[in-house]
Amino acid sequence: MSNEVLLRMEHISKSFPGVKALDDVELTVKAGTVHALMGENGAGKSTLMKCLFGIYHKDEGQIFLNGQEVDFKDSKDALEHGVAMVHQELNQALKRNVMDNMWLGRFPMMDKLPFVSEKQMYEKTMEVFKDLNIDVNPKTIMSEMPVSQRQMVEIAKAVSYNSKIIVFDEPTSSLTEVEVEHLFRIINSLRDRGCGIIYISHKMDEILRISDEVTIMRDGKYIATKDSKNITMNEIIKLMVGREITNVYPPKTNTIGEKLLEVKNLSAEYSKLSDVSFVGYKGEVLGVAGLDGSGRTELLENIFGIATRKSGEIYVDGKQVTNKNPRESIKNGFAMLTEERRATGIFGVRDIQANSTISSLKKYLNHGFLDNKKLSEATQWGIDTLKTKTPSQKTPIRSLSGGNQQKVIVTRWLLTDPTILLLDEPTRGIDVGAKYEIYELILKLANEGKLVIVVSSEMPELLGICDRILVMSGGRLAGEVDAKNTTQEEIMTLAAKYV
Amino acid sequence: MEKKFDKKKILDLLLNNAMYIIIALLVVYVAIKRPKFLGIASIINIISLTASKLPMALGIAGCIVLAGTDISAGKIVGLNACITASLLTTVYKIWPNMTAPFPIPVVLLIVLCVGGLIGLFNGFCVAQFDLHPYIVTLSTQLIIYGIILIYMMLGTNNGMALSGMTEEYKQLITGPLFNIGTVRVPRYVFYALCFVGLMWVIWNKTTFGKNMFAVGSNKVAAEVSGVNVKKTIMMVFTLAGMMYAITGFIDAARVGSANATTGLNYESDAISACVIGGVSFVGGTGKISGVIIGVLLLQVIFAGLNFLSVNANLIYIVKGLIILIACAIDMRKYLTKK
Amino acid sequence: MKKLLSVLLAALMVFTLAGCNNSANGGDAPASDAEDVAVFWYNHTDAYLSSVRSAMTDALESAGVTYNHYDANTDQTTQTDQINTAIAKGVKVLVVNQVEASNDDVTKTILDAAAAANLPVVFFNRSVTEEVVTSYANTAYVGTDYTQAGHMEGKMVGDYVLANYDTVDLNGDGVISYVMFKGQEGNLEADARTQYGVEDADAILTAAGKPALAFYDADNANKYLLDLNGAWSNTASKEYMDTILSQYNEENGNMVELVIANNDDMALGAVNSLKEHGYNGGADQVTIPVFGVDAMDFAVALINEGSMTGTVKQDAVGMADAVKTIAVNFLNGNGAFDGINSAYELEGTWRVNIPYSAYNG
Repeated sequence: MSNEVLLRMEHISKSFPGVKALDDVELTVKAGTVHALMGENGAGKSTLMKCLFGIYHKDEGQIFLNGQEVDFKDSKDALEHGVAMVHQELNQALKRNVMDNMWLGRFPMMDKLPFVSEKQMYEKTMEVFKDLNIDVNPKTIMSEMPVSQRQMVEIAKAVSYNSKIIVFDEPTSSLTEVEVEHLFRIINSLRDRGCGIIYISHKMDEILRISDEVTIMRDGKYIATKDSKNITMNEIIKLMVGREITNVYPPKTNTIGEKLLEVKNLSAEYSKLSDVSFVGYKGEVLGVAGLDGSGRTELLENIFGIATRKSGEIYVDGKQVTNKNPRESIKNGFAMLTEERRATGIFGVRDIQANSTISSLKKYLNHGFLDNKKLSEATQWGIDTLKTKTPSQKTPIRSLSGGNQQKVIVTRWLLTDPTILLLDEPTRGIDVGAKYEIYELILKLANEGKLVIVVSSEMPELLGICDRILVMSGGRLAGEVDAKNTTQEEIMTLAAKYV
Repeated sequence: MEKKFDKKKILDLLLNNAMYIIIALLVVYVAIKRPKFLGIASIINIISLTASKLPMALGIAGCIVLAGTDISAGKIVGLNACITASLLTTVYKIWPNMTAPFPIPVVLLIVLCVGGLIGLFNGFCVAQFDLHPYIVTLSTQLIIYGIILIYMMLGTNNGMALSGMTEEYKQLITGPLFNIGTVRVPRYVFYALCFVGLMWVIWNKTTFGKNMFAVGSNKVAAEVSGVNVKKTIMMVFTLAGMMYAITGFIDAARVGSANATTGLNYESDAISACVIGGVSFVGGTGKISGVIIGVLLLQVIFAGLNFLSVNANLIYIVKGLIILIACAIDMRKYLTKK
Repeated sequence: MKKLLSVLLAALMVFTLAGCNNSANGGDAPASDAEDVAVFWYNHTDAYLSSVRSAMTDALESAGVTYNHYDANTDQTTQTDQINTAIAKGVKVLVVNQVEASNDDVTKTILDAAAAANLPVVFFNRSVTEEVVTSYANTAYVGTDYTQAGHMEGKMVGDYVLANYDTVDLNGDGVISYVMFKGQEGNLEADARTQYGVEDADAILTAAGKPALAFYDADNANKYLLDLNGAWSNTASKEYMDTILSQYNEENGNMVELVIANNDDMALGAVNSLKEHGYNGGADQVTIPVFGVDAMDFAVALINEGSMTGTVKQDAVGMADAVKTIAVNFLNGNGAFDGINSAYELEGTWRVNIPYSAYNG
């Protein structure tokens, strides 16, 4: 392994009004290594990267690339110097096709003519794809592809710039296990070419598998850089949170009661979900596993009435319900936390109070008009119960961290007094501490006799908090396992059944 | 470091209250040049002008909160002004068979229905066909224009301006609410205040109001959260249509006549007022107080530049600049907080 | 389902509109058959033109020719397209109320298109230039001498002020302060009315040894207030007048003593504002003389009740009659001006002027 230092960031500091976001942080990335950058949300990882890419202007410190000091104006400037980033939330022109996105801002031109050469664009794209072993038609429209493939395109774009430093920000948060494997193969091949990879993730097992070195940050400060081979998950967690977490999952205390929900032969009109039947019990945490595109999300969407149902019946407490749309489902005691928080969860410009109370407004009416006191009491209850960190109820939700946004949306649903909660990736993009609180909450709800259905891509999570796990494959229910007596291998086998 | 921080704070304070500051500066400047600008007569005039434009701006603001717009507003005002003027009149031009003017409540009901139905139609097309409100109202605006032209040619009117409205009706709208010295405050100022109150309650104290903001902020999330998105959109447009109808009902008496050009370009002023007042096209944000400030600012500009004897052509330029500056300041809120 | 609904909706709308169209134009020829006379209007909202339109509808119907009205909605491009379409459709006579008055290029474009199809053209109301019109065969213009309305308004103002000088001069300072409302910028008629409405009045006053009229606001270099929407509208003049009266009133000793407006609509707005401020409401109130142009029914009514002073009558029926006569002459292959009412002033071989007349009750 070469030890040549590619990128060195020294004594980086950055302040925002009232907050010191970065305080004398350093980061050294060597060629041919994968360097993990870890820390809880708000630890300053994103801010550090934004300083690198010139999105933020650093207050103090220096950045050296190949020994030369650099100070990029913006991410395009960085890209042209061989420093690329694959974003957590992809910024792509979704209505355009793959190759348009790849070559945006530097379209290959025809010889001597001021026109874009589609042919060259296609060929160049194919070249990069072949190189990275990506199987995507360059002419596919971005919005028609799953997130995982869109991410591949983003990586291919970084590679096409001949980038020496590639930053991956939470790359696997929306990928299935198989896709993660593919991603890791690509990352490894990039490393073997001598690239320096900065890898930001919350997933410990991934970090330990893929990275060569780990730099840990906490509260805007540099904590340590360690060799990945000589460190354990618990040690990393300890460095990140400054305390020891013995149990990643809270102890299970819920007891399973009588039958609450029965779904019979559910099929979707516009997705491949077909003929799914299962039951759920009071006080149960029911997991739904499966690969991306296996119909996990579609299952919840069909139960909740977001997606159009073709056939099938739903019974709550033995009574049939239609759940034609979310309004009706809410009346029937359902609640659903959607997967894409930003697109379908939060009202970005609205404050915490509006975001918390929107689904239960009728509760706060006083003679037909909304009562401010009731509204703020309900909101405050949510903030206290879930330990939401926010300056006030009047803060716009978009200025909170992902974990706190998630807590506000959970509050929204708890305020509707649901008996059945459908949670689609409830811990995505949330730091370890907040995740633990969400797990506690799920178990608390189960203890109250509610049925909690959890869809997750993280198998340890499902194994840690669920009682039973439904495994989806190719839009069908491939099997049902007992969380206590199953293994990841068993679930993976079922998940691949109808692929 | 400390000082720099303060400077930024002051700048923020200035920018966040820019509209108030602009109004204040303008008023001070005009008042120095023309002291009568702050005379009672002048203040009442500006308040009256503001009051006459408020109901419409309040209606259109709802559409903008939905991240939409409504460019049919002016034409709806015009149509309802014409209907009002043709029914509450002593010269029966449009309807030669009339023998007496209609009772005022009946006419009010008629225009509310007409405005509400057109609004509902707008809202229905926006919600049901998922069309952008600009497209929908661009179309209905044309349709209504045609209807106005046809309506004005009915009977023996031949497209003439409608006037000769009944004294009772004129008194109801422009009659004195009270007098300050010799200056009369017209009743429609009071009506405008009522509508401000009504809209404030609707926006802040009803589930419909909260749902409106939610839909404007994130339509999909609103649907998932159990908001009846289509119903909300239709209600917002219906309410807006009714507010335009009321504007028309008031305007016919205020101006003293109505013709096919009544309401021309009203929507552009109303939209400008909303935008100046911070009802952003981003959707999901806005306050009633902002709408009032926006309308007031435009009227202060109109009256102020008049007092200053500024060339009419400059008024366009000043208005344009104000709108641009207001929007730029407004957008700042959404850009800086990263 | 949704698709079906939208189709139904569209069909319903088209049907409704088609129905409206029929009722508005009465005896139109079936749509598939081209009408004899195609009339192109500058703008259907214009009140005076609307009365010409009604009169023309009656005249053409009683002459037994088929016709159709087209509204350009103040857009010359629209009108030119409408004309070309009508030619293609096979109409026999074009009657044009040109949007961009006095724009020779537009006139030539229209005449070239007509000449290519060998069609006669009758222009009316909005000016076209002699030079262009006379260079084509089978064309005529029915207009008014656009300066005449302004001159007539000015003369009426001058005569009235002179005869009632002391009554009009409210503050007794010997000078009459006035306000002028202009309907639109860049319109020849508006320009002429704005100019001559004051100039001619001044000429009469100074000849009698009185000082000229003074604009109420000495700082206003334009000496007029403009409808910012260019719509000649009563809303504009009403809001201006309200604002003026909040600064210039009897209390301050600087009341506006005379109102001259480009048209009756704007005069009406001023009258309404004055009435709200306690003027022009009858014998027991002070009356500020207000002058307009067009002699609209409502203006005549206001003059008769004493709240407005004078207007200038533009003869809508006369204009419609002249256009009809010429159009029918063209249709029958007669000389353009055969049998035309002798009260109209013929100008050369190309133009008929419909005279204005003053109206002051």
